[in-house]
Amino acid sequence: MSFDLPLIAEALPKMLMGIGLTFQLLVLSAILGLALAIGVMLMRISGKWYLSWLAQVYIYVFRGTPILVQIFIVYYGFPQLDFIREGFLWPIFRDPFGCAIVALTLNTGAYVSEILRGGVLGVDRGVLEAGEALGLSKSQRFIYLTTPIASRLALPAYGNDIISLLKSTALASTITLADMTGIARTIVAQTYAPYEIFISLAIVYMIVTFFLQKLLGRVERYLGRYTIREG
Amino acid sequence: MRHITKLIAATAAMLAVGMPASAESLRVGMECTYAPFNYRTDAGELEGYDVDVAKGVAKIIGADLEFVCQQWDGMIPALLANKFDLIVASMSITNSRLEKIDFSSPYRDSVGRLVGKSGGDKNLFDPSGNPIPENFAGLRIGLERASTYESWFNARLPDADVVLYDGSEPLYLDLVNGRVDAIMTNPMKAHLRFLAKEEGSGFEFVSPAISEVEFFGIGVGIGLQQGQSELKARLDAAIKQLINDGKLTEYALKYFPFPIHNEEWGDD
Repeated sequence: MSFDLPLIAEALPKMLMGIGLTFQLLVLSAILGLALAIGVMLMRISGKWYLSWLAQVYIYVFRGTPILVQIFIVYYGFPQLDFIREGFLWPIFRDPFGCAIVALTLNTGAYVSEILRGGVLGVDRGVLEAGEALGLSKSQRFIYLTTPIASRLALPAYGNDIISLLKSTALASTITLADMTGIARTIVAQTYAPYEIFISLAIVYMIVTFFLQKLLGRVERYLGRYTIREG
Repeated sequence: MRHITKLIAATAAMLAVGMPASAESLRVGMECTYAPFNYRTDAGELEGYDVDVAKGVAKIIGADLEFVCQQWDGMIPALLANKFDLIVASMSITNSRLEKIDFSSPYRDSVGRLVGKSGGDKNLFDPSGNPIPENFAGLRIGLERASTYESWFNARLPDADVVLYDGSEPLYLDLVNGRVDAIMTNPMKAHLRFLAKEEGSGFEFVSPAISEVEFFGIGVGIGLQQGQSELKARLDAAIKQLINDGKLTEYALKYFPFPIHNEEWGDD
């Protein structure tokens, strides 16, 4: 196999033009997904059977189906419904970017809500009982005790999901978005050089992941700053 | 008496030599499954644009035809192995094929055409068929990734808002959904797959047929073995005559609401 290095040099800057879109997809769906996940998690642990049941159905559906299928259903399926096409949400669903954000948010929200629930359930009962003894109300206990401890417990798994979300954004290229993967696929279709292009694309994703890992490590250290034992 | 016998023998001999020329038999290879160009009707009859062209050409050059059905991937090898004399199978004239076989002049064009909503009042093209870039502003154009149409847009309308798709089906879906305002594709495919169907109502061609050889190729020709310049000249002349007589238009209108050749090919 011959490796066309000049081609890579030519293709890399073109692919990097899509990195902004990749980041937009990642950041926007991560934020919206987290907000959704918090809501779903609260429903899940609310103790009200109908809220918990609804949350469980949502989690089951979105963890039980491939994200590519979810993207296709949102992009190609929803416009078949008249109320979507004529409704006020059409500006979002008309736009492939909007569709990608909706699908990625719904997908990551399902996983993250379970990660958060794991964190909340991992909080030591003794801490909460101590809070109760000190006269903190239920919501005060949740905000001041559960939330910080649960975030610390959930963060490693959450970081995992963010990295996985970064790679899921590549699927947006299947619905016409020109993110890094979309641009790479166009270059491959023009140059018939899949090895060179896709290998350099893979390296770009690895570099982004590296910095993402570093960032998550910092957040982890920050949240865990009171738990580090001075030696 | 002996003279007469000789004369008869000579005449017979001449006739025997002359016979193959007047009743030349040409075997034509085609897929027989490629509607509407070459396919079998329910009654088993071969029909289609390719079939009509083959018959029209044969009539002009005075040959008998025999059709041979051949799978696409073996078409050129079969011609080279002398299984038939001509390929009339909607085969595009390309440089890589020209390395192996010869082609007649084209009998079907290779063009691109834009499809969009009917009744749009924007003139996207000037009367001589050149795109007007300003009028493409604000229009989203759907194209297949790495297609000849994409190359054409990159060269002629580099500022157009182009959306790339992985196949032709999503193109039509998103045109109907309103995610793109127009798509560029092969007009024959667009007609058969979309415009002639119910979902295509409300849509029409919004551009003339764009035939830039540099992007779309020369077109479809009759394939023959190399080194048969005399036969090739007769085929070329016959195709020209079919164009000038309006026969090609007539054949095309059986299947499409527009001709599928370039009238300039017929000029003398």
